[in-house]
Amino acid sequence: MLDFVGFPFFDVSPVFPLGAILFNFLFFTLAIPIEAYILTNRLKFDKRTSIFYSIAINLFSGAIGWFVFFLIEPILPPEIRSEIVSYFFFNRPGGNTSLLILMMTAFIIFFSTFLVKFFLLKMALMSLREPGQVKQEAQIIGRKTSRRLGRMKLQNTSILTTVLIGNSLSYTAITIIILVITTLQK
Amino acid sequence: MQITKDLFGLLGIVESIYERIKKIFIPPRAYSWQTLIYLSIFSWIMSSLAGYPIKNVIAFFGWAFLIAGTSWYTTDQPILIPGTNMPIGAVITGFLVSVFAFGHEEDIITTRTIVLWPTISALITAIPEFFEGSGIDYKRQIPKAEVRQRIIVLVGCCLILSAWIQLYFTVDKWARQYPSLLFDDFSRSAFVIKTGTRRQLPENGAKILNRIQPLVQQQLEATPWSNVERWLIEAPNTKNSLGRVNALGRQVIQDLSRQSGKKVRENQVESLEELRYWNVDARVINRKGGGYRLDLLASWDGPRSANKSYYLRKSCQIDPISRPADVSTVNIKKPGERITVAEIQCDRAPKPIPESLPPKQ
Repeated sequence: MLDFVGFPFFDVSPVFPLGAILFNFLFFTLAIPIEAYILTNRLKFDKRTSIFYSIAINLFSGAIGWFVFFLIEPILPPEIRSEIVSYFFFNRPGGNTSLLILMMTAFIIFFSTFLVKFFLLKMALMSLREPGQVKQEAQIIGRKTSRRLGRMKLQNTSILTTVLIGNSLSYTAITIIILVITTLQK
Repeated sequence: MQITKDLFGLLGIVESIYERIKKIFIPPRAYSWQTLIYLSIFSWIMSSLAGYPIKNVIAFFGWAFLIAGTSWYTTDQPILIPGTNMPIGAVITGFLVSVFAFGHEEDIITTRTIVLWPTISALITAIPEFFEGSGIDYKRQIPKAEVRQRIIVLVGCCLILSAWIQLYFTVDKWARQYPSLLFDDFSRSAFVIKTGTRRQLPENGAKILNRIQPLVQQQLEATPWSNVERWLIEAPNTKNSLGRVNALGRQVIQDLSRQSGKKVRENQVESLEELRYWNVDARVINRKGGGYRLDLLASWDGPRSANKSYYLRKSCQIDPISRPADVSTVNIKKPGERITVAEIQCDRAPKPIPESLPPKQ
């Protein structure tokens, strides 16, 4: 479970993750407009709603990501944790991490955020529907009409591709920025 | 004249303040938020007087009254935090709920309290939107789409805020697990900044060397010179085997990690993680004019900012001295014979050297 250390009352931590928080903030400020733009363009929402959807899926997927990280961090073996500490404190992996593991982690992170964002978008769509409307729709589906069902499916796949495109674009943007920053540093 | 006027003005101010205080402290009706606060204070006093099982029950009600009273007062006249739709009252109530839910008897405010405070406050902000009316007669409702949007965005932001606070505590935990990192240079780190000053020495490395030194002294002091020389040959690590100093070092590190360990669960001790990254070695150098210099080295293999590793060095001078044999000396051939024994003197403090270990001889 989450590992909470005893609260340090008077000794403030000797290190502060300012950069990480700013990076996270930068990530949101990049990803939210990009994904909102993709949503308006492909799913034809109006601007206000698509910005809302984009904010919701990004904030909640970010929170879920952090939560998973805090959940697995205390149970990681010390070797992997020291790698994370090395990367987090000094921007360099400890040396004996293989590229394969890094790539795998990146892939897992990308696809899991994509899936999470897809489900979050569906939930966000549901959250804005009026309660009466849902019943109506359910009735219509219940009454059959395979064409309607087909359209629902189509909508689902188009949501999926839209989220995929938006997610890829925002990840590309943040990767480019991180690369630029690291090359500028050297 | 002017003075008396001023005095009256002052009195007027005092009176208005008094009126306001009276308005705050004296409940206008029996059914009001002040009553709840008074009830909570009352239960607090009672619980401090009561015995063990009842004490907790009364304290529980005290908390419940306090939370209810605060939330009532703050929803009566909501003051919003600028730029958001979150009333300050929700933040205060959220803090109380958080303390109530995650505090213990020993430490009232835990990290969990702080971490989950924003999230709980956001949820408290959201709750009134699902009810209509005020006081006792309310009915459930689903808020308008626009309100729902605002609530969702607020909860999302507060979740991220909670995550950032937890990140701070996690990084703090890492810094405690790897205290030697604070000796390193953080200027090129993109993710963290150092708030304290740079350490003069990596604490644990210095501790290891300082604890090895008396052990070495104990083994060498006043031993016959030939034994000392044999010991010194076996001191450094060789390609195939670990040396004597390394054995001492491992023993010291084991002791340290047992001492540093905090009990996680029963019989399960979590020790400082960084201790596994300290390696102990030794170098022996011939000095001109007889005697040796024994360098005790502790090298750091853990996370670091530069490509090159660094090590700590503590040098000891070992000199032969002759002294008359006494009772403790074995193998005395004739009385009054002089024997050569070792005298050892070490540096006060270890020196950090930003290089990888010197080559073996």
